[in-house]
Amino acid sequence: MNRSLAIIAALAALIVIAVLPLWMPPFYTRVVQLFFFSAALATAWNILGGYTGYWSFGHTVFIGIGAFASAHLVTHLGPFGSGPWSMVVPVLLSGLICGLFAAILAYPILRLRGIYFAIAMLGVGQVVGELVTNISWFQGGVGVFLAAPVPQGMPPEQFFYYLFAGLLILCLAVSFWVRHSRFGYALLAIREDEDTAMMLGVATERYKIAAFVMSAVLVGLLGAVYGYTVGYFTTSSVFRLDFSLNMIVFCLIGGIGTLFGPVIGTAVMLLLTQVLLSGFLDIHLLITGVIVVAIILIMPGGILGALRPKRRASASKAEPAAKVQS
Amino acid sequence: MFLFLQTTLNGLVLGGLYSLAAVGFSLIFGVLGIVNLTHGIFVVAGAFGALVLYNEFGLDPLLAMLPVGIVLFAVGYIYQRTVIHWAISRASLVASLVVTFGVAMIGRNLMQLTFGPDAHSITPSYSFSSLTFGPLQIDVVRVVALGASLVLLLLLALVLAKTHFGRAVRATAQQPLAAELSGLNVQRLHGLTFGISAALAGASGAIIGIVQPFTPASEVAWTLNAFIVVVLGGIGSPAGALVGGILLGLINAYTAQYIGPSLTQAAMFLVLVLMLLLRPNGLLGNAFGESR
Repeated sequence: MNRSLAIIAALAALIVIAVLPLWMPPFYTRVVQLFFFSAALATAWNILGGYTGYWSFGHTVFIGIGAFASAHLVTHLGPFGSGPWSMVVPVLLSGLICGLFAAILAYPILRLRGIYFAIAMLGVGQVVGELVTNISWFQGGVGVFLAAPVPQGMPPEQFFYYLFAGLLILCLAVSFWVRHSRFGYALLAIREDEDTAMMLGVATERYKIAAFVMSAVLVGLLGAVYGYTVGYFTTSSVFRLDFSLNMIVFCLIGGIGTLFGPVIGTAVMLLLTQVLLSGFLDIHLLITGVIVVAIILIMPGGILGALRPKRRASASKAEPAAKVQS
Repeated sequence: MFLFLQTTLNGLVLGGLYSLAAVGFSLIFGVLGIVNLTHGIFVVAGAFGALVLYNEFGLDPLLAMLPVGIVLFAVGYIYQRTVIHWAISRASLVASLVVTFGVAMIGRNLMQLTFGPDAHSITPSYSFSSLTFGPLQIDVVRVVALGASLVLLLLLALVLAKTHFGRAVRATAQQPLAAELSGLNVQRLHGLTFGISAALAGASGAIIGIVQPFTPASEVAWTLNAFIVVVLGGIGSPAGALVGGILLGLINAYTAQYIGPSLTQAAMFLVLVLMLLLRPNGLLGNAFGESR
């Protein structure tokens, strides 16, 4: 696609996103809002999991930390101004806190590779969640309040629709920049073969930490805003295993390690589960499982991978991190 | 002092169960190199199988281990030869993680549809009697469970160490290519390994059913427990599973007794993460050597 066409398409998409909620009934505004949120999460996960090849199974820890950080910031230090702008400071600070947490965590945990990294992150998610529940200061067990400063005369779902649309664009912009920068090529080199990359002079340790922190900050921002959308939450409503797994599944279905793969995967899965199959709640898990297995077996590169046959060869070898450490 | 001894005893018994539930996971991890997230399904399916046999035919759960094991052996064999094999050959080793996870979702949903989401347990006639050693007390079911676990683990260790089949499995684990060149049917051995692992998981499920309540959703916990046991003890050997299982049992019992029952999971994962960082191959190392 040439450049001017891409810009026109992006502008058209922006205009559609901007005017859409004025026409849609509130239910669909909510569904699209959920789509923006999930797609942004998947895009943020993809920076670490897709480009770098480090599959985190516990990214929900950053949603949880982001949400709880903003709630406590507002309760203990707030309010930070009035109206919708009062969200800016707590949300940004929460992202920063997630980044700090990730930076501290990164040094030990990124020494692990492949399956070990995946499960260690799963463990981190569980431990942080339980600590937030059990240490009474965090109030994870009883729950915390985080009132949303929705501007007057605007339905809340519309307000959050625009917020999440903005965050999705932010995540895509970061992802686009990473993909086309020297930094991104270094990450891809790490994914393809970390030892060789290191041997060729790529500062693997620093790049991995940067990707991890970047991904964590984006998820933290999303988590903080998510906290505002629900208004009241406990540990179990933000430290959720299904958040972590959805990020992986959405990326996998769309095409892992591609710019738009996570967005497409999210759209397909949400359309299937929220709209078409919303009447079959008791077999939700079964259907998701069947789709996941079928995607891996039929198109291992995801939807985008299947559309571009020449990528197949490299996509099938995309995760050398799978090698069992010995 | 008495409390400490009683807690230790409980931890050891729990550890025996963890060991048996994890040994199949460990074997698959060691021989095929894949993390089987369907493992917990095998355990819980074994428990439900024993429950059905007990309710319908009055079959003792300990005897039910045999039919349950045979059925799960067949399931495991077919599962490896089809889905797992396809996933590895078409996608990658990490993709097998996702495929087994997808199958686990399907399995959990099917069990929920069949048995409902409520907790079940098997209560044979001896479930409420207990033995006493001085001040210490232990339920008969737990002694039986521990004994059965140890016997099965010992059997597996003997098979792996002494028989031709065991040697073939170990050779396949160390060097799949070399094993194939020496005339072993690696595909079939992988299938058989998977079958045996599933059978052992099912057998452990039958025992777990008499000791603890279980629901379809508890498969997640059993998969994670198996992973922690393998990380603690070491990959691929019954001895590693035993060491890891008993450690996990003790950690669990001490945390519940001295720190707080709600923190057991956090303690288990903390130990897991520390262990991964300090000694990722487990206390006993990888049974199949440095070659992988």
